[in-house]
Amino acid sequence: MDITLITICFAIGCGIAAGMLAGLFGVGGGVIFVPTLVLVFAFTQLDAQATSLAAIIPVAAVGAWRQTSDENVYWRGAMIMGIGAAAGVLLGAEVATRLPDALLSQVFGAVLILSGGEMIVSASRRLKAKRASAPE
Amino acid sequence: MENANTLPKVSVYPLIGIGIVSGLFAAMFGIGGGVVIVPLLMLLTKMPPRIAAATSLATLLLTSMIGTARYAGSDHIDWLAAVMIGAPAVIGVLIGIHFQKRLPADWLIIGFGVLIIGIGLKLVFAL
Repeated sequence: MDITLITICFAIGCGIAAGMLAGLFGVGGGVIFVPTLVLVFAFTQLDAQATSLAAIIPVAAVGAWRQTSDENVYWRGAMIMGIGAAAGVLLGAEVATRLPDALLSQVFGAVLILSGGEMIVSASRRLKAKRASAPE
Repeated sequence: MENANTLPKVSVYPLIGIGIVSGLFAAMFGIGGGVVIVPLLMLLTKMPPRIAAATSLATLLLTSMIGTARYAGSDHIDWLAAVMIGAPAVIGVLIGIHFQKRLPADWLIIGFGVLIIGIGLKLVFAL
């Protein structure tokens, strides 16, 4: 890894953006970390994913701590999902080596697009209904 | 306002199922974690978006620690790079939470929808 002024600027900018997504929407930031590491730092995909995981730890720790003080974290659920996820990763590693299929990930992408669209439509409807019923 | 302590107790089965799916997808597509956890929590357990996002972060704390421990012995983790992007991200998460608390829930859902459409497009066109 070459550290230049440009890579430092990219790291800070992408880091802040990834953190903001984490705080706003509860995603880890890997969505931004991994492509940043691959494209800007010339990491391999595996190195980028491993490094991204390490970078997520402080983000998730500070975020969860901050949210806990506001009683927004359902810790029981988080613990159970964490255990399930650990099992899922092991399972997924088995499946992934057997299914090098681009189609599968395109199907997943299509599902994300559709559910994103559904979320936007239903939330806008609720907002509109709320606006219509709000007493002026 | 609703908070995680006043929430009705959520059954263990959807939770463990969401966990498994998010881990499975993370391993298969490189995209799992919150992208999968947050919408499924809202859909299957009717959790409000604010609590779903915060709980997702707590789950990611566990999964990122387990994942990092798995790679820690290898030389796949560049610790300097992790600090270079992780440290500004800690500032970012505080900014994000500041706004998350003030935005109405439906606006959070719209923002999340835009985010996952972007990720979906990236997967579909293999960018």
